[in-house]
Amino acid sequence: MSPNSSSATEDLADVERVLAGDAAAFAGIVRRWQTPLVNMAWRYCRDRGRAEELAQEAFIRAWRGLAQWRCESSFSTWLFALAANVYRSELKRFPAVNLPLEAAPEPSGPALQHHALAEKSSQEAVRRAVLALPLRYREPVILFYFHEMDLAAAARTMRLPEGTLKARLSRARALLRRRFPKLEDEQEALEFSTATPERRPNLEANRN
Amino acid sequence: MKPTATKSAENSAAALDRILATEEELLPSSGFLASVMERVQEEAAAPAPIPFPWKRAIPGMVLAVIVLGGGAVELVRISLSAAREISLAPARLPAVVHPVQDAGWVAAALGASLVCRMLSRLLAGRSGLL
Repeated sequence: MSPNSSSATEDLADVERVLAGDAAAFAGIVRRWQTPLVNMAWRYCRDRGRAEELAQEAFIRAWRGLAQWRCESSFSTWLFALAANVYRSELKRFPAVNLPLEAAPEPSGPALQHHALAEKSSQEAVRRAVLALPLRYREPVILFYFHEMDLAAAARTMRLPEGTLKARLSRARALLRRRFPKLEDEQEALEFSTATPERRPNLEANRN
Repeated sequence: MKPTATKSAENSAAALDRILATEEELLPSSGFLASVMERVQEEAAAPAPIPFPWKRAIPGMVLAVIVLGGGAVELVRISLSAAREISLAPARLPAVVHPVQDAGWVAAALGASLVCRMLSRLLAGRSGLL
């Protein structure tokens, strides 16, 4: 997840300016990376205010440690790894209020009249359940999907071998599937109920 | 695993992927950039932290290392010579038999201990603790 591919050179230029004493140049870095960092923090806590606080803390730590970026990895890799560290340690100090996995609500059935609302509520229940996973499984899930299912990028952010991350991810998915055994049916039911009458026979055939 | 069960697990994993991968993007609030930069400016304006006074500390640290190292060497030397004496002890008479003057020191130490005990009891008695 990066703002655009040309940002690497801009990042490098801004970092050099900041290290040369131009604090205002840091604004360019914040402008480019604020959305990814806030979204990443949101996935860690699912609280908008807290997400912004966490992202702000990550930027401040980046500012303090900018000289430690040795250009061996891309700026984004360094920044995401630093942010993940900040979010992890801050949430250990003041944990987000989460339900245990067993208490996470089941996705609402398609009985709800408004299909879009039903779908949204069902998906939100699953996303919130991620936060109820044990930390060693939660973080791989958060970072894997944050990095648009790029295992290598998630592994770099967590500074873990890809194999380890893959194993944890697999265990996390198994836990989630066990918690939401009807997930597939719910999704299919929602798709079916929202499909046009012409598409319904195709969906019916796929289900069988 | 049965083929239907495998298919169900795959579908379920796909459903999970679909849900977790598609998340609406959250936009930072309008004041976010300004608040970060405000904190950055504060940090930039703050005086640099006072560096550790290495110039003053190093002589003290070197002295401490010398004293501790010398002490350790001396301790090892004394222990080795004591061990050597113990191994040679059967060849000589036991040390306690020989030096009569040492008995005087032992008696003095015992006397001092006795005086301390009596004095402490006296003081404790006066203050009503006994």
